[in-house]
Amino acid sequence: MSESVTTTGSTRIWDLPLRLFHWLLVALIAFSWWSGEEHYMEWHRLSGYGILALLVFRLWWGFTGSRTARFSQFVRGPGAVLAYAKTLFSPSRHTADGHNPLGGWSVIAMLLAIAAMVVAGLFAVDVDGWESGPLAYWVSFEQGRSAAEFHETVFNVIMALIILHVAAIVFYLAVKRMNLVRPMITGRRAKSAEEAVEDARWSPAMALIGIVIAAAVAWFVSTGFRF
Amino acid sequence: MTRTRTLALAAAGVLGLAAVAGTGTLASAAPSASTVVATRQANYKKMGAAMKTLKDELQGSADKDKMVAAARTLAATVRVQNKLFPDGSGPSSGVKTDALPAIWTNRDAFNADMQKAIAEADKLVAIAGSGDKSAIIAQFKATGATCGGCHRQFRADD
Ligand code: HEC
Ligand code: HEM
Repeated sequence: MSESVTTTGSTRIWDLPLRLFHWLLVALIAFSWWSGEEHYMEWHRLSGYGILALLVFRLWWGFTGSRTARFSQFVRGPGAVLAYAKTLFSPSRHTADGHNPLGGWSVIAMLLAIAAMVVAGLFAVDVDGWESGPLAYWVSFEQGRSAAEFHETVFNVIMALIILHVAAIVFYLAVKRMNLVRPMITGRRAKSAEEAVEDARWSPAMALIGIVIAAAVAWFVSTGFRF
Repeated sequence: MTRTRTLALAAAGVLGLAAVAGTGTLASAAPSASTVVATRQANYKKMGAAMKTLKDELQGSADKDKMVAAARTLAATVRVQNKLFPDGSGPSSGVKTDALPAIWTNRDAFNADMQKAIAEADKLVAIAGSGDKSAIIAQFKATGATCGGCHRQFRADD
């Protein structure tokens, strides 16, 4: 932070669908945890289908969303990750908006872990053979039990990743003096006068197509492909 | 499957320890407890599998023969379970088990749960071949509730 930043406005760095994705995901993960603990299995399954739809949408949006949402922008090779890691403790501005090379991989890790959890849930069978995921009829009781155990194990991995995620955000605030949370809510960050950046642009049509695909996939899966 | 493997490992571990320590008491007590635990767990798995078959059929093609066979397996297996919880086969035996000590301190309630499960399973056998799907579903739920009811009280939720 060599030059003091004169803020004369703001620029959009996160598009609306991405922000909705994020906060709905937070809400549904919390709700899934609660409904699972309380054995409200009907709600727990519904919540899982919701998360599945969010993941499908995010996959789509990773190719069709605004530039900061695209995988091509934030999934970087080990060289870029290492180079970024070296600058981690210096208080500097982003050179580019969107996820940094290190954060990009934490995003991928979270999305993959959550996807693994959803898939395991689809095949999971409760001890009583009574409650089960919509695809459990493809597997044996024993396999369904293993899926349920895996479902529980992955939850711990997800918890660890979420703690790391929130810790990183606190780290940025405390050490790097960057508030990442406000942009994730409003979509915008402050910008100085001389800075020439474009707002992150997105297509409502693409978002709509993504929503339709996501809802269709989640619905087909929820019926166990029996309709 | 993983359960059985850990069980076998646990049993082997207990035996190994006993051999090293040279304590004959452990060596003679452990195998019988581990056998009875392994047997009851295998039976419960059979019951779980039967329940799953019923559920799959009820949501799918509702094959009468399969449902009757599953209900019979369930009713036949649940009957023998009560004998598989002898004194000394709880967690204090050192064998890996989800059976809670409450089974032995509150045996009457445990037995009552067992009887309920037997009664509901018998009703399920009687109705499984009837072709009356909604009645079968209702009885399936009643039977499932007896599993869950006992597990909440007497089985450790791992
Ligand atoms: C009277 C109590 C009782 C009833 C009724 C009961 N269970 Fe259980 N169940 C237990 C206990 C106790 C255990 C733990 C056994 C152990 O780990 O030694 C258990 C364990 C299980 C397990 C796990 C076995 C393993 O691999 O560790 C399954 C599966 C299971 N029960 C299925 C059922 C089903 C299905 C029903 C109903 C049709 C049912 N149970 C009814 C008490 C009960
Ligand atoms: C259930 C818990 C959470 C999960 C699963 C989660 C998941 C994610 C994911 C997947 C992303 C990447 C967004 C994308 O590009 O798709 C992200 C980014 C982000 N999350 Fe979370 N999140 C959680 C909780 C939180 C909380 C509690 C906060 C606020 C304190 C938060 C703040 C942020 C911010 C600021 C970003 C953008 C990071 C950046 O600037 O690169 N998240 N989160």
